Amino acid sequence: MSVDLTSSSGRTILAFKAGRAFRRAGTNFVDASPTKGAIVLTNEDGLIHFMWKDRTTGEVGEDLILFPGDARLEKVPQSSWGRTYVLKFESSDQKHFFWLQDSSTRRDEEFVTNLNRTLADPNIIAIWDMRNVYPASDASTSAAGTSTSQPSTVQPTVPATSDSTPASTTPEQLAQLRGIVSSMTGFASEDEPWLTDVLSSQNLLQLFQSHPELLPALFPHLPPELIPSSDATPQQVVEILQRTTNSPPFRSAVAQLDRALRTGALGEFVRSLGLPESAATSVGAFLAAIAEQARQEGSTEEQMEED
Amino acid sequence: MSDEDSSGWQLTESDPGVFTELLKTLGVPYIVDDLYSLEPESLAALQPVHALIFLFKWFPESPDDEPGVGAGHYDSDFPGFFAHQTVNNACATLAVVNALGNIASLPAGPQFMDLMNFTTGMDPQTCGMAITSADWLREAHNALSPPSAISLDGLDLPKKSEEAYHFVVYLPILGSLYELDGLKPYPVWHGEYDGSGEGWVKKAREVIENRIHTYPTGALEFSLLALRDDPIPGMRRRLDTLQGLAGDAEFSDLMNKFSNENSKRERWAFENSSRRHNHIGLVHALLLALAKAGKLDSAKADAQRVMQERLERQRAMHS
Repeated sequence: MSVDLTSSSGRTILAFKAGRAFRRAGTNFVDASPTKGAIVLTNEDGLIHFMWKDRTTGEVGEDLILFPGDARLEKVPQSSWGRTYVLKFESSDQKHFFWLQDSSTRRDEEFVTNLNRTLADPNIIAIWDMRNVYPASDASTSAAGTSTSQPSTVQPTVPATSDSTPASTTPEQLAQLRGIVSSMTGFASEDEPWLTDVLSSQNLLQLFQSHPELLPALFPHLPPELIPSSDATPQQVVEILQRTTNSPPFRSAVAQLDRALRTGALGEFVRSLGLPESAATSVGAFLAAIAEQARQEGSTEEQMEED
Repeated sequence: MSDEDSSGWQLTESDPGVFTELLKTLGVPYIVDDLYSLEPESLAALQPVHALIFLFKWFPESPDDEPGVGAGHYDSDFPGFFAHQTVNNACATLAVVNALGNIASLPAGPQFMDLMNFTTGMDPQTCGMAITSADWLREAHNALSPPSAISLDGLDLPKKSEEAYHFVVYLPILGSLYELDGLKPYPVWHGEYDGSGEGWVKKAREVIENRIHTYPTGALEFSLLALRDDPIPGMRRRLDTLQGLAGDAEFSDLMNKFSNENSKRERWAFENSSRRHNHIGLVHALLLALAKAGKLDSAKADAQRVMQERLERQRAMHS
């Protein structure tokens, strides 16, 4: 059973990089426009919008409302380069030409197939092949061909990296996260808890108050201007942590991660945190991997104390 | 692949802390404050006010009717500064620049002054393009938005509600009240104002209130901001003068206002820091800490229970 927890106005169904191409007047030639853009499908109050957005300015260049079954994106066979597509309509002669701009062609077919399936029937669930999203994965939990997240029953493997401390997330990783979130729909199964609830205000306050010795490890991850000074009192430290974790930007980051984990496509991202690939498959797997990471760090610390 | 430096303008939030931070970057000693009412007392407390910013989004019943456009006259011979909005996401910064560009003897940093010199005599469209091409200005603007937007390849969609906000500036220029709207062809002239008493804000109040009333009830969401002098230096000087008279009523009243103002700045500084920061690392670190504290399992179980309860409530509502 799926619960759609996205907002009902303006929900992104999928998005991928694409540029536009225009017919040269009086000819059958189509010239590609170099502008970096994206094809974005959204569902706004039940209507499917096919938009083309300029990725550098954010401007929407095309906004077409499509009726189910009316339009299809087809490959243009005469294009020697092979990545030109045309949006054609049953109801009219209009044609819009596009070319795919993702640096790799690996997912071209997947994007277009899912786009066409959605245009044919908006209620259809997009199928994302996990192997395409995360090619190096040998994680047996990712069932190829489905995007519904399952509660993890697989033990996480030992992290491959020798550095088991949390790496700070780079902008590229965050961009990946955002990109993935905006291009996929998310599904929730009933057993999957929300990180938002796991990291509730109450749970965090209890943690801050009961385990002050664990708090300094959090400081490097705070906004730099807010890091407690060395002479800050325990109360001040708790106050700063509380304020930060109650702030809208923090809550928004948690919500983002929630949604992204539900799409199960964050392989590289979780690896950068020192977690195994299987941690990306669901919230449950993510939490289990973190528990394991904590155990590993705990034993390292114990060893250090013994020296 | 994506060049961060050449990426476009990011959408920013439109609260006073963000605007004030932008002003600091421009080297302008003003602040922007929320204006909760146009009543004389509210405005008097913020004087001197240099400009009013009216930000709104509205939900038209038909795309063709936009109320509030009847008032005033276009001034195609406007001698002051006016730039068209050529990039949607830059709308907040553009409104600020349109205001600042018309304030006589404005104290400002060298980059802003250069930009003003450079755009002298330009038509509104060219002027708008020049403004949005200023790399330093775009970087200052983008520095105010969340980090994920900056490194993005453009697949992120701005939140629908933020995208729809529009900004209009009202300010006094050469004895008349003008409305500067980057989406209109020219500045709108609303007539001369009486310099005595409240001055230009009295006329601005009339014009803005009239405008608000032309929208159907419930169709308009709006906010008002005031561009004003930073009151803190003046307050500090006055407090120093009154120092010897500690029991003085004026002193304690001013002390209150001073500490309120400082708290507000501190809150803005916190919000700006927080807004710019990538919190994902903190999320991971917190989960790790919960695990080390032996609390992760119970937190997860609690979360599952909360989730079940929520789902049951939803089902109950729909049955």
